[in-house]
Amino acid sequence: MTLTRLLRRLMMPAFALLLAACNRSGDTAAKPTIALVVKTLNNQFFIDMEAGAKAAADSLGLELIVQAPEREIDVERQMQIVENLIQRQVRVILLVPNGSREIVPAVVKANAANIPVVTVDTRVDAASLAAAGGRVATFIGSDNADGGRMAGAFLVERLGGTAQIAVLEGVPGHETADARLRGFRAALAGVTGMQVVASQPANMERDQAFNVTQNILQSHPGITALFACNDVMALGALEAIAAAGKASQVSVVGFDAQDDARKAISEKRMAATIAQNPREMGRMAVLTAARLIKGESVAAEQPVPISLVK
Amino acid sequence: MTSRATVRRLLSSREAGTVLGLLVLCVGLWIATPFFATAANLANVAEQSAIIGVIAIGMTFVILTGGIDLSVGSLVALAGVVIGLALQRGLPVSVAVALGLLAGVVAGTLNGLMITRGSLPPFIATLGMMSVARGAALMLSDGRPISGFPDALRVVATGSPLGIPAPVLLMLLLYALAYFVLTRTVAGRYVYAIGGNEEATRLSGVNVAFHKTVVYAVSGLASAVCAMLLVARLNSAQPVAGMGYELDAIAAVVIGGTSLLGGSGSVIGTLVGALIMSVLRNGLNLLGVSSYLQQVAIGVVIIVAVLIDMALRRRVQRSSSHSA
Repeated sequence: MTLTRLLRRLMMPAFALLLAACNRSGDTAAKPTIALVVKTLNNQFFIDMEAGAKAAADSLGLELIVQAPEREIDVERQMQIVENLIQRQVRVILLVPNGSREIVPAVVKANAANIPVVTVDTRVDAASLAAAGGRVATFIGSDNADGGRMAGAFLVERLGGTAQIAVLEGVPGHETADARLRGFRAALAGVTGMQVVASQPANMERDQAFNVTQNILQSHPGITALFACNDVMALGALEAIAAAGKASQVSVVGFDAQDDARKAISEKRMAATIAQNPREMGRMAVLTAARLIKGESVAAEQPVPISLVK
Repeated sequence: MTSRATVRRLLSSREAGTVLGLLVLCVGLWIATPFFATAANLANVAEQSAIIGVIAIGMTFVILTGGIDLSVGSLVALAGVVIGLALQRGLPVSVAVALGLLAGVVAGTLNGLMITRGSLPPFIATLGMMSVARGAALMLSDGRPISGFPDALRVVATGSPLGIPAPVLLMLLLYALAYFVLTRTVAGRYVYAIGGNEEATRLSGVNVAFHKTVVYAVSGLASAVCAMLLVARLNSAQPVAGMGYELDAIAAVVIGGTSLLGGSGSVIGTLVGALIMSVLRNGLNLLGVSSYLQQVAIGVVIIVAVLIDMALRRRVQRSSSHSA
């Protein structure tokens, strides 16, 4: 019967995919499984975090599932992933929340299923979590506000206390970028010559940063410094600044110390960036998961060191 | 012989290909992972499908008329922000939700008027609204998420009357209503007629402009209902919510066998289409498949589903022309 044959032919690839996936997870059934859920996997920062986590999981004999929404702004999709991993009965969920408040219901669901949640890099909003009766086992990450302060202090020193500054904000309401901005503004607070003339969100994306920077250069052609809440945006801004022929005029500072940013700094195209250590975050997160599985206690906060790269 | 006839009748129904696809997917996942076919997980999947499922109802109406609505994702954000702001100002939940639904209907009606009175192609009108509504949501909320809502709203996401999660119950009720309207009412027949041949429908005395405008208002309303579900689920109203939902909704409609040319399709197919997408995402998460491969898999499923649907339909057409 031609219909059956056609259906069979069309269904084969789908089955092959499923069976391949099945085989892959089949031989590891005995290992305890933990999950790392990051904001997105199209940012080097989280790819590095994944690498650090994978290395640690391999050495400890843990099965690690890494998942992320396609877009960093997709809080609902991240919630779905967490819900699905709860159904998968993973032992620990290592979570980089896309939305510090929005993820709270998912954390509460994990709590109800007795799956410990470890937040990495970005905190869950403490007040919302308390109001919902949820809890997080520990937080592992950098002090982002301190990093923002370092970036601000660096610009004050480099430009002798006088500058017209443009700021590229992250996704509004995201805790990490907000903390960086807070720290950055705090560092400039006492210095009257340091003027923030434009502060616009570019949602942590490179192409948006390019466009926003182009627009800022139209309205404020005299800017001498630009602070971006992550390197992805800083790199987009660099291109826009270069396209406007102002590469020597504007000192650009980013955040995250990605490879591309480090390269731009060594080539003197970019002034500085703040180095976080995502690999170390991933490693510490998995070590913490292993301790939680054994029933050991962990500290409520585990800071990961940061530094200025110039 | 009779069983053969039954099989033939089932296969010839419009949704056959889609339902078959869903069954194959479920059986495959049931074999592949012990975590799929549990009551808790199936409830979880149904709940996750409610968000896109509800918008896809309005999208089905629009696509049946031969149109498209690209603004639904932005309308989710706008209606959500309206609900959030109303609650923040201390208005009761019922009033806040009513305002949100009103925002969706007004924006949808504007889409309809631009298309019918302004003769704009639906693609252009709703593309414009997509940007306007997103901008309005950002302006109203100052770009920030609004959060912390009363339990009376949260219950929309967390409650489970009759043991069914509230979002699933709401989605099923809305599908039943849409099915009734499309198959048992005159207005429903007009929706198909407009998509089949708009000019002929107009010449036969139907107020096409009115019915088309209502269809876009329905799509706006469906987006606003989705906004309510989303705000309740995340306990937060986000001006950047719903980005890309228009494409997920269109995918659910198309997987469900509704023709993008209009005039043929069904809302039950759309429900199955929305379920296929959530089952697939859920299964890939359960299997721990790489996030990159997941996007490939979803694209492949959309294409395969439509291929099967087209093949089945050709077969049905052939067999019916033979018997005639």
